[in-house]
Amino acid sequence: MAPRQTLAKTDRIPALGVVAPPPIHIQTDRFDGSLATLFAMTRDHKVDLLDIPLFPICEAYFTYIMQAQVQDLDEAAAALTALAYLLERKAWLLLPVPDPEPEYEEPMDPIEPSTYEYKLAIEALTLWQSERDNLFFRSPDAGPDPYELPYTLSNVKPSDLALAFERLLKRAEPESIEPLNKPRKSLQEHMQTVLLSMSNTWQTLEVLVEGPFTRIEAVYWFLALLELIRLGQVNARIENEDVEFALS
Amino acid sequence: MALLFVADSPTSVSSLATALDYTEGQVEQALELLGKRLKKAGPLQLVELAGGYQLATKSEYAELISAFLKPQRQRLSRSLMEVLAIIAYKQPMTMAEVEQVRGVQSDYSVRALQERRLVQEVGRRQTPGRPVLYGTTAQFLHQFNMNDLSQLPPLVVEPSALEGRSEESV
Repeated sequence: MAPRQTLAKTDRIPALGVVAPPPIHIQTDRFDGSLATLFAMTRDHKVDLLDIPLFPICEAYFTYIMQAQVQDLDEAAAALTALAYLLERKAWLLLPVPDPEPEYEEPMDPIEPSTYEYKLAIEALTLWQSERDNLFFRSPDAGPDPYELPYTLSNVKPSDLALAFERLLKRAEPESIEPLNKPRKSLQEHMQTVLLSMSNTWQTLEVLVEGPFTRIEAVYWFLALLELIRLGQVNARIENEDVEFALS
Repeated sequence: MALLFVADSPTSVSSLATALDYTEGQVEQALELLGKRLKKAGPLQLVELAGGYQLATKSEYAELISAFLKPQRQRLSRSLMEVLAIIAYKQPMTMAEVEQVRGVQSDYSVRALQERRLVQEVGRRQTPGRPVLYGTTAQFLHQFNMNDLSQLPPLVVEPSALEGRSEESV
């Protein structure tokens, strides 16, 4: 029968490094096997190291060092590493375990408001909403103001006005750089300006709006014109495929 | 009654008093009288809603009017109702505070309530980040048949506390 030393496996601990420890045999009451096997089982928590005395293991290692003709230092270093690991693990296991902190039965903090508190409120709101559904009022969105007279644009379509506005914008010049606190413009003032520049004679926007003007001014001019049409102070018509405007 | 008839939203006593050139006390007295008279006869009633008075049809005509107008009722989901109730009680409050109470993200619900004009921004908290504060609107009071927020039931009450509330609202 082969001696135990030769049966001991040497390649059980690849995680240790590239070199496995030498086949040092350990024989105790609780464990009988190689150093490598003990190392692997300890690492995998398959043995309780507290039950295994480390003195015979250290002695076996010492014997190996003294007796064997150690030629491979890497192998010896691997054995020392495995032994050191076992010693450290056992040292940690032997440390006194601190007593668990006593658990005091502290009064619980008051529970933060949560949605369960609103259950009744939700029920109340649902009930009141259904009560409210039985009431009918004059609708606030019944449509346009019934007192506003409808305005007519004769043969002018919104697309014609859009084209006229587009042509006006093309003539506009880029905005000049102004400070941020530039004065606010009033549409009311622009409406006065537009009214002053108009007459009973039909005129196109090309004639009405004289350059140079910026895009913002063009937008204000056009908005003022639309508002005047809405108020019935200005009329619009299509003539020679262009929109013309005149005072009512 | 003519002023209340043309108004399409609750009219306050003060605005009625200004328009009629009466004192607010006189207007209140007249409103009380009008309310009693309408209650006795006719299809209309005077309701106190969202801080003002408004003429409304009596609830016994609801079925008839519904058949005529075919109103599109949009019920609030449970989560929307929950967010609305929280804001109604704790307003003004930030989105983070709503989420703290509910324990779930609530930005969608708040936005949905804003779109329905039941919740609105009422300011900003003067803390880092200046978060938006939300509160309920007059539309909320109107839609839930309330005159003011004091009519909300206490948060922890017996269900019996709700009884008889509907008589108070009219």
